[in-house]
This record gives sequence, C-alpha cells and structure tokens, in this order.
Amino acid sequence: MELIINLLINGLATGMLIFLLAAGLTLIFGLMDVLNFAHGGLFAWGAFSGVWFYGLTNSFTIAIIGAILTGAVLGFITEKIIIKPVYGNHIQQILITLGFMIVLSEMLKVVFGPNQIAAKTPPLLSGSWEIGDVIIIKYRLFIIVVGFLVFGVFQFILKRTKIGLIVRAGVMNKEMVQALGINIKQVFLYVFMVGAALAALGGALMAPYSGVVYAEMGMEFAILAFIVVVIGGMGSFPGSLLAAILVGLAGSFMAYYVPALSLAVNMMLMAIVLIFRPQGLFTAKG
Amino acid sequence: MKNKFQVNNAILLVLVAALAVFPFVSDSRTWTILLTQIFIFSILAMSYDLLLGYTGIVSFGHAMFFGMGAYATAIMLNRLEPTLSVFFLSIAVGMVIAGVISFLIGLLTLRLKSHFFAMLTLAVSGLFLVLAEKWRTLTHGNDGFTFRAPEFFKDRMMFYLLVLACLVLVYFFLRRFVHSPLGRVLIAVRENEQRTKSLGFQTLHYKVIASVVAGVVASLAGSLYAISLRFVNTSVLTMDITLDALLMTIIGGVGTLIGPIIGAGVIELAQHYLSGLAKEHPIFERWIIFFGIIYILAVIFFPKGILGTIQYAFWKQKNKIPKVDVAAPSRKELTK
Repeated sequence: MELIINLLINGLATGMLIFLLAAGLTLIFGLMDVLNFAHGGLFAWGAFSGVWFYGLTNSFTIAIIGAILTGAVLGFITEKIIIKPVYGNHIQQILITLGFMIVLSEMLKVVFGPNQIAAKTPPLLSGSWEIGDVIIIKYRLFIIVVGFLVFGVFQFILKRTKIGLIVRAGVMNKEMVQALGINIKQVFLYVFMVGAALAALGGALMAPYSGVVYAEMGMEFAILAFIVVVIGGMGSFPGSLLAAILVGLAGSFMAYYVPALSLAVNMMLMAIVLIFRPQGLFTAKG
Repeated sequence: MKNKFQVNNAILLVLVAALAVFPFVSDSRTWTILLTQIFIFSILAMSYDLLLGYTGIVSFGHAMFFGMGAYATAIMLNRLEPTLSVFFLSIAVGMVIAGVISFLIGLLTLRLKSHFFAMLTLAVSGLFLVLAEKWRTLTHGNDGFTFRAPEFFKDRMMFYLLVLACLVLVYFFLRRFVHSPLGRVLIAVRENEQRTKSLGFQTLHYKVIASVVAGVVASLAGSLYAISLRFVNTSVLTMDITLDALLMTIIGGVGTLIGPIIGAGVIELAQHYLSGLAKEHPIFERWIIFFGIIYILAVIFFPKGILGTIQYAFWKQKNKIPKVDVAAPSRKELTK
C-alpha cells in the first residue's frame, strides 16, 4: 500500500511537470498550428534560470518568478524572430524551431557552463511527512498542487474570461476571429509567451525535483511532452492534463516493476493511440 | 540538354578521379581521415535529402538507421572474425535490419501529417537510443567498445578508396532513383500530396519506399563510420547525427544530390577548423551554436541552400525573359 501510494505520488508529480510543458505546446499548436520543437529548450532555460535566481536570492518564490519571466521573454523573442517568418509553412517551422532548440541548449552551456548544476530544494518544502507507514515527500506534493492550480486557473481563464473566449474561438477558426476585428497575431504572441512561461515554470519546478539541471534535459522532457500532446489530442487542454498524468503514472509504475520498459511503455501508449484514434483521446473542439 | 548532361558528368568524373588520386599524391594523414569522414557524411546527408528534399518529409530519426549500420558492423566484426567477408556481410545485415525497421515505422507513421511524423520519428529514435544504452551485453552502453577492423583496412588509403567508391555508387544509384518514374512521384508528393493522391497514386506506398531506401543508405554510412573509428558507442544513435545530416542537407541545398555532398564538406571542414580555434577563445568549443544560427538564417533566407541558390542564379541568367507587359494579350491568345 505504502509503495503504491508513493509510486502514485511520483507518477503524479512527473505527470504535472510534463503537463506544464505539454500545456503550452498544445495551446500553441491548437491556436497557431505551429509545433514548437524549441519548447524543450524553454523548459531547460526555466530550470537553469530558476536555479540561478535561487542561488542569487535564496528565495524560491523569486526563483519561480524569475524563471517564468525568463520563459516569457524567451517566448517573445522566439515568436518574433523564429516563428513569425514561417507561419503557414509546416516543414520550415519544424526545421527552424529545431534549429532554435539547438541554439537555446548551446546557449545554456555558454552562459551556465557545460556541466550539470546541482539544484537545492527550498528548506520549507524539503523533508517529508509520515502518515502511518506512508512517507510523503513534501516537494512532490507541492508540484502536484501547483500543477492542479495551474490547470484550474487556465481552465477558468479559457472558459470564463473574454481572452479565453478569443483563444478558444481562435483554435476553432482563426479567420473568423480575425474577421470579427480581433488582432489574432497579437493573441498568437501572448499565447506563445504564456506557453513559454509555463514551460519555464515546469523547468524551475523540475530542478529541485531531479536535484540537477543539465542542458539535455530539455530534449528529454520535450519528447515526453510530444507523446502527451499526441495522446491527449493536439490543442486540447484537459486532454493534455489527463495524458500527462497517464504518462507520468505509467512511467513511475513501469520504472519500479519493469524498469527496462519504462520509456517503451509511453511509446506503446502513443502507438496504440495513433493507430486507433489518430486525433488523440480528446479533440480540441468545445 | 544531352550535351549539358555529359559536361556535368565529365566534371564529376574529373573530380572523382582527382579525389581518388589524392592519397597517392599527398601523404597527409589528417586530410585522408577528414576526407573519409566527409564522404561518409555525404552518403548520410544524401540519404536524408531523399526524404527532406525529394519527398518533403522531415524525419528526426535518421540517426537510428545510421546507428543500426554502425552497430551491425561493430558487433559482427567483434563477435565473429575481423575479415573482409564478415565486413561485407555485416553491411548487408545492417541494411536489412534498417530496411525492415524503416518499413515498419514508415507504414505506421507516414500516414500522419508532417508534425506528427517528425515527432514520432524523434520519439522512436529516442527509444532506440535508450535500448542501446540499456542493452549493455550487446552494445556496452555509453562506454562503447573497440573492435578490430579487417586487415585490409589497416592501410587508411584502402579504406579511403572504398568509401569514395561507395559514395560514387550511392550517388549514381540515388540519381537514377530520383530520375526514375518512382522518383518523379516522390517529387510530386513533395509539391502537392493531395493532388498526387487525386491523380491516383497511393502516396503512402511511395513515401514508405523513400523512407526504406533512405534508411538502407544511412545504414551503409553507419557501417563505414564504425570502421573509420574502429569504435562504436551510443553517440551514433543520438540526435546529433540527425542534426548533422539535417544541417548538411539544408546548407548544401535541399532537393539536389550534390548539395548534401557540398554541405557535408563545408560542415566537416568548418567543424575541424572551428574546434581547432577553441584554444583562441572558449566560445569556439560551442561551435555548434554558429551552425544553429547559420541554419536558422538559411531556413529563413536561403531555403535552397548553397547549391540551390547558385543553380537558381544560373537559371535566372540563362532564361532572361524580356519583361512582358502583363496587360498585353500573349501571342497564344492572339493566335487562338
């Protein structure tokens, strides 16, 4: 029982981190029809800048805010310089965002050095609770709470506010939104920045969880996020949450019971979904 | 037209002859090794261009076929005896494995749109990398292992000539391939898949064929690469190999076969010199950053690459069409 609860918490925590990455990816894809291969780079930048800010100020709140701002600024630059010239051309988008991914992760090595950096857990969140026989690591619980909070906030924004309405309408039909007098390009930029900020937040939360940050982590998590987006359905926000939890849980249980298959299980999930339901478990509409 | 074709062929032959004579004239070991490396990556980049430039599919999993060839050769030469016949057998085995795997992956994934395909190939090749890292009894994981190359290749020159021969053969094979009716269909798929479909071509079949051929050729490059290092580890399966092929193809010129060869030359030489500059300034250790930037600029401003841009310039000069007044009716309309 104790084991299962722990595996559950591990899986949920990993799932939430993947969700933060996948949420931006799926929104950007749904709205702008751009698959951002540089998203993992933004995630890694979030992780590094979070660690850097934490080392500088010793305050985890500032570290998180710093990482989010870094992500938003990088998102702004990415949208303006990288994505804008190639709207509508899929192959060029794929190629160019991948190129930017290389630049981002190499820039990390230039700025922070090529070695991996240790990340400390803030004292308030380190340690664990013991409830009976079950040991619950505080930080993991914290990640899960943040993940659900982000989901709740975004779900509220998407469903209840005007900007959310515009975004949802944009996912359905961009031209119509444009025709109704809304500057959809501006909305693209904001959504991209928010997506990048979410990725950076994921990175910043990831750092104390894994204990170290390294430049290649971006690509590793990006692959998981891609799997999640495919399983959850491109452009679907709740879909990406469910798929992320699914992938996180499958990963953590398989890593314990059948370690050799821990990555393969995600691939198998994706293959099954693609064969039987190529549009993903959820569709973006509605 | 025929004449121009012959001129081009003659130029190529002279170049190949010059390269073949090169190791006999110069005894620079560095250059022989560097050129061997360029040839191997040319083969890889050409196979990649078959997908990217001719069929218009972006695959991020090309390294896995390269790695399959490399591991097939390394493992067989290590486990069996290091003779020439085992070497050729291992190339064949690598090709068959790569062919079968690319066929299966292609069948499953090529139905999807470009985004999904790129993502899936990335994920599948990531899976192969993990597999190679975990299956230590076979691959020795990230540490890799050394093996003895056949006696015949002890002489670097022999190997150089073999690789050059492979390059020429692959070039002519691929040229024949892309100029065949099948290759024409691939180009049609690149230009407009919907229209090709409505003309009655089952485009999935053609795309699968392209990906199998590309996989098999990449596996050949991998086999040669393993021999050139006499060592293999999981780095042959990493994203870096795919990125190299991608950069070479884009910078050299997509949709041509000479382009990737030029790209391979440019990138390998630049890599050689830039990493040499690392002593001057540490930023050159991260030389790949320059490639990343050049690559992004190339995608935005020179999507045709070096060769494509030159070709286009020539084409424009040759077909200097006098400015036609758009409003005036054309001759065709007048004679109607």
